Amino acid sequence: MTEPLLSVDSLDMRFGGIVALDHISLTAEKGAITALIGPNGAGKTTMFNCITGMYRPTSGSIRFAGREVAGRPAFEIARAGVARTFQNLALFPGLTVFENILCGAYLKGSSGLLQGALRSRRSRREEHEAEAEAWDILGFLGMEDLAASKPAELPYGQQKQVEFGRALMQKSQLVLLDEPMAGMSAGEKKAMSDLILRVRSDMGKSFLIVEHDIPVVMELSDKIVVLNFGRKIADGEPEAVRNDPKVIAAYIGGED
Amino acid sequence: MTEAPITAVPRRPMAKAWTASRAILAALGIAALIYLPFLLTERAVFGVPLSNGMLLNLGITQINLMLIFMLGALSLNFLTGCAGLISIGHGAFYAVGAMTGAVVGTQWGLPLPVVLVAAALVGALAGVIAGLPSLRVRGLYFVLSTLAAHHIIIFIFQEYQFEFFDVAGVPYTNPALGPMALDTPIRWYFFLLVLVIAVYWGLSNILKSREGRAMRAMHDHELAATAMGADVRILRLKAFALSSAIAAVAGALYAYYLTNATSESFGISFAIQFIAMIIIGGLGSLPGSLFGAAIWLLLPSLISGLAANVGDAPALVRVLLVDNRAQFVQALFGSLVIVLLIFAPGGLPDLSRKLGRLFARERGQ
Ligand SMILES: Nc1ncnc2c1ncn2[C@@H]1O[C@H](COP(=O)(O)OP(=O)(O)OP(=O)(O)O)[C@@H](O)[C@H]1O
Ligand SMILES: [Mg+2]
Repeated sequence: MTEPLLSVDSLDMRFGGIVALDHISLTAEKGAITALIGPNGAGKTTMFNCITGMYRPTSGSIRFAGREVAGRPAFEIARAGVARTFQNLALFPGLTVFENILCGAYLKGSSGLLQGALRSRRSRREEHEAEAEAWDILGFLGMEDLAASKPAELPYGQQKQVEFGRALMQKSQLVLLDEPMAGMSAGEKKAMSDLILRVRSDMGKSFLIVEHDIPVVMELSDKIVVLNFGRKIADGEPEAVRNDPKVIAAYIGGED
Repeated sequence: MTEAPITAVPRRPMAKAWTASRAILAALGIAALIYLPFLLTERAVFGVPLSNGMLLNLGITQINLMLIFMLGALSLNFLTGCAGLISIGHGAFYAVGAMTGAVVGTQWGLPLPVVLVAAALVGALAGVIAGLPSLRVRGLYFVLSTLAAHHIIIFIFQEYQFEFFDVAGVPYTNPALGPMALDTPIRWYFFLLVLVIAVYWGLSNILKSREGRAMRAMHDHELAATAMGADVRILRLKAFALSSAIAAVAGALYAYYLTNATSESFGISFAIQFIAMIIIGGLGSLPGSLFGAAIWLLLPSLISGLAANVGDAPALVRVLLVDNRAQFVQALFGSLVIVLLIFAPGGLPDLSRKLGRLFARERGQ
């Protein structure tokens, strides 16, 4: 029996009187696509923020790749191998699309300011490798023509893709995607699902995904965790979750 | 979206093509930079003397000072525009360099290259210390902490100056680069020119390399930069160290160029002028830093030049340009900075672009 890549245990997150996460436990297995769903305000983004060190959980444990990471600073968790995208885009507006993706390679290099200034051999080699990889990712996203654009010049869906590309660029085992398909057409969503599946098979990355489009999630994920008002109400394979009366009840009212 | 495999994707070159016209332009630029100091010292072209007005009332000293201030503007703009930190303490790092020069050069008698390396090291250290508050406070509070750093550094300079020298300040003598004495403005010019080009080259390399790009990312979206694995606290301190090291080198050169420095050479208005330069040239833009420093250093003497030629101009022009020139220049810069801050945060280049678009639209209608 191997340990899951990510295991969250009895996690609590309170903001003053608000209980955003109430004793949540969940796991994401290596090589799997795990979905985290629930109505608005259920605590999905809060869970992402706890896992990636942007919030310090009130209590509970988060183990990633065999290490306790709860409460560690965000950059350290990124170094441990967790990449993420943000629900509200978090691109670097002053950088081109290409440079945005290059930024994802930060952890792959080690050259510092002075080596960069003097274009040392190591700095040039790292730059060369990162650029080659960034072109691969742009090609993979079908966005090579947009390399020199600024993010603000692109439609929302493509900005989401750039952020996805930046996360792929990162040296990581687990990628957290917060609503990667928001604002996309049905066709774009299908293409995005295909990309995610291909990244899993070609790059061997695992995913934890928050997404509101339930049919897409059912199709894509190996496992679904459902939150509602900070509580976990279901956890299992798509088929089982789909027919769970508690899940159906939570979604009645059209909250998707 | 394509269905191409992940590998085997054609590469496109990022660098701009090095066309013939660009090469000619570059060659002309280099020739002009080489010829400039001779023109300004001989004040003649092929034996034909030029009037002050024809030389725009410029002299080589202004150009050399401009080069020294370009180092300050470049390093402050690196910090402010790229790493997202605003510092009022930048002038104080010039003082740190001048003080290092006083100890290492004037007191210990070591040669200028040693002085400059020492200034860079001491400047970097002072920069890290002055940058420490950035770990805790942001925005206005951080700006105020750099103001405090300024006062502390100037106080130390003052104490040092009166302990070892006197009210006349510190003398700086016999600067030389190995066998070449820096004893003429033309020699200074070429030395400073090479230095400015080297610093510009280094900084623009940094912005295109791993850590510099991370700094720009941190400036744009700190949380996202953290999610890439960047430790933004360390990055900030590094930005501070580098920026202050360059400023300190410039400060040592400033002292040697003027052959004297006192604690009063580096007052608060000395520090603020760097902020004005980068606002005029454009925050975050390296070429803008050069441009801003050039305007700041050269415009006053252009205006003096104008003043010499206003013999029969209307009274108002005389009052502004001749009788109250200093105040006029200050008011001009002051209003320029305010206008730019409100309408064109990218500085004068940005303003002219915006005006150009405005006129184009007017004409289009
Ligand atoms: N920094 C914070 N301070 C206070 N309350 C917060 C904070 N972050 C989240 N919350 C609260 O936690 C709850 C869960 O919010 P969260 O953003 O995690 O929901 P979500 O499931 O991502 O919703 P959505 O589908 O709308 O993105 C909400 O009640 C929200 O107001
Ligand atoms: Mg959310």
